[in-house]
Amino acid sequence: MVAIRPTRVSAFAVYEVRRALAKKKVLAVVAFTILIDTVPYYILSTSGASLIPAELYPYLWVAGVIAPFALFIQFIAILIAAGAMSEEYEAGTAEILLAKPVSRAEFMVGKFLGGYLLVALVIAMNAALSVIAADLVFGPQAGLWTFPGVVLLEVYSTALFFTVAFMVGELVRRSSLAYILSSALVVSSQIIGTYLSIAFELTGSRFYEMMHTYLPTTVASSLPAQYEQALLPSSSGRVFQLILGPMGGAPSEVSAAIIVAAYAVAAVAISLAYFSRADVSKRIS
Amino acid sequence: MSSPVIEFSGTVKHYGEKTIGPIQFSVGKGEIFGFLGPNGSGKTTCIRMLLGLARPSGGSVRLKGEDPISRHVQALTGVGYSPELPNIQTFLTPRDVLALAAAESGLKEARDETDRVLEEVGIIEYCDTKVSKLSKGMVQRLSVAQAMLGRPEVMILDEPMIGLDPAGTAHLREAFRSYAKEGGTILMSSHMMSEVEDICSGIGLIHNGRLLFNGTAKEMISQVLGATEVRVEAENLSAEVIESVRRIEGVVGVTQTLGGLDVKVDGGYEVRPDIARVLVSSGAELLKLGEGERMLEKAYVVALRGGGDKAD
Repeated sequence: MVAIRPTRVSAFAVYEVRRALAKKKVLAVVAFTILIDTVPYYILSTSGASLIPAELYPYLWVAGVIAPFALFIQFIAILIAAGAMSEEYEAGTAEILLAKPVSRAEFMVGKFLGGYLLVALVIAMNAALSVIAADLVFGPQAGLWTFPGVVLLEVYSTALFFTVAFMVGELVRRSSLAYILSSALVVSSQIIGTYLSIAFELTGSRFYEMMHTYLPTTVASSLPAQYEQALLPSSSGRVFQLILGPMGGAPSEVSAAIIVAAYAVAAVAISLAYFSRADVSKRIS
Repeated sequence: MSSPVIEFSGTVKHYGEKTIGPIQFSVGKGEIFGFLGPNGSGKTTCIRMLLGLARPSGGSVRLKGEDPISRHVQALTGVGYSPELPNIQTFLTPRDVLALAAAESGLKEARDETDRVLEEVGIIEYCDTKVSKLSKGMVQRLSVAQAMLGRPEVMILDEPMIGLDPAGTAHLREAFRSYAKEGGTILMSSHMMSEVEDICSGIGLIHNGRLLFNGTAKEMISQVLGATEVRVEAENLSAEVIESVRRIEGVVGVTQTLGGLDVKVDGGYEVRPDIARVLVSSGAELLKLGEGERMLEKAYVVALRGGGDKAD
């Protein structure tokens, strides 16, 4: 049994960041993140500023941090994670990388951490751009002391779909299929969540609420929103209602953190177990 | 005798309905072993098992005495590999590719070493050009360069000459020769019979997943064709001279060709000194005396046509 050597892991992590950035789709996503964090503020300032109560202006940065997280950031995480392993098989580069004195665990952990670091950077960039854009358009922003916390929680919560997509990428070894399957999980979870909310509203049955609580999309998106909601003044609550709707049917922060960790640990364990046993695929495409 | 560097012992790999093996051969230190066989015969699968990229379904594989699956790091330390298709990261430069390979292998003073191997394969002037902008031949050289990085004890090369121009082929041939002279071991698969015949000390022929032959090129030619061939280039060849050559012990046939003779020789005989003596004493002008051309290729074709009748 060979221990996981930090030097090898870091070499693969740096390589993974470079590899992902070299792919135009990741750069396109980064460009799109910049747009999504700046254009809405500009539109609001030119055509909708009068509709927003002035007391909410200092908290509008939160909207830019939280709103893209429910779906957009999850898709970015999936895009990066789904290709981390599968694109190496498709390009045939896995062979040359693994025919070296490195363990499969070092390879996988390095690539996982590199991809995850990139997602964390995108999240941080998304949050920073929101603050800058809100500040420029709506004046000085308040409650910024929560900024590091919400970014960390978003990074943590993204682990759920990131690890699932990483696992699917390793299992199917086709980047497009992995992306489609992982995205389908997000979309279907979101749609099922909507149906469960409607069912709960109509019947009042706690069963539907409980089901909604443990959906992957509910868990992944609830933690940062709950953190901000608890810390910011009550007058900012409307911002969250506009963005996320009512917070009913969401797990507690502790439960959400545990569920995210459970999904992530299970997905990583499955990926590692499969990768350790399976042959390294030959070039696919 | 020291233990083999590469060892296949009854190794089998099942791919659905297809089976590779059982494969049995070994390669000793300082040998250049040529692994021959048509496309899809199982060469690459054997190489992948040797590198721990594919798990054998039965039997065992040892690289430097280690199991490349369960003791991958130990088995692959000091081993260089150049794959059949040089699938190298196109967004990197040759220097980046080698820096990554050096980091994987834990090489110290990687910069000097990367420069050395880039120089060795003749692409140092392209060290900072993106791989995507390099020609196929240069990418192939880069693939071999990363296999040579860190002066490995063993090099496993899957079609290393593919896509190379004659100068590149000659360059690598010499590099491999000097590497083996210094004690390095090479297992190389190839379709280029002349290269294999020229530089390999041992060969293995695999077809339809079965090892048909394992030995030297000369042995294979002798075993498959029943005779070897000597090519004589000479002037003033009279009928008497040809008859004298025919009478040399071990010669089983003589054919006169344009500018010389093709002499068929029983596999166990070395007749070139006798042929030289006969020609010189009879007044013929001897220009060149060497082994018959493309003999291994002929033996290869015949062996494959036989489909394994001459399996050892």
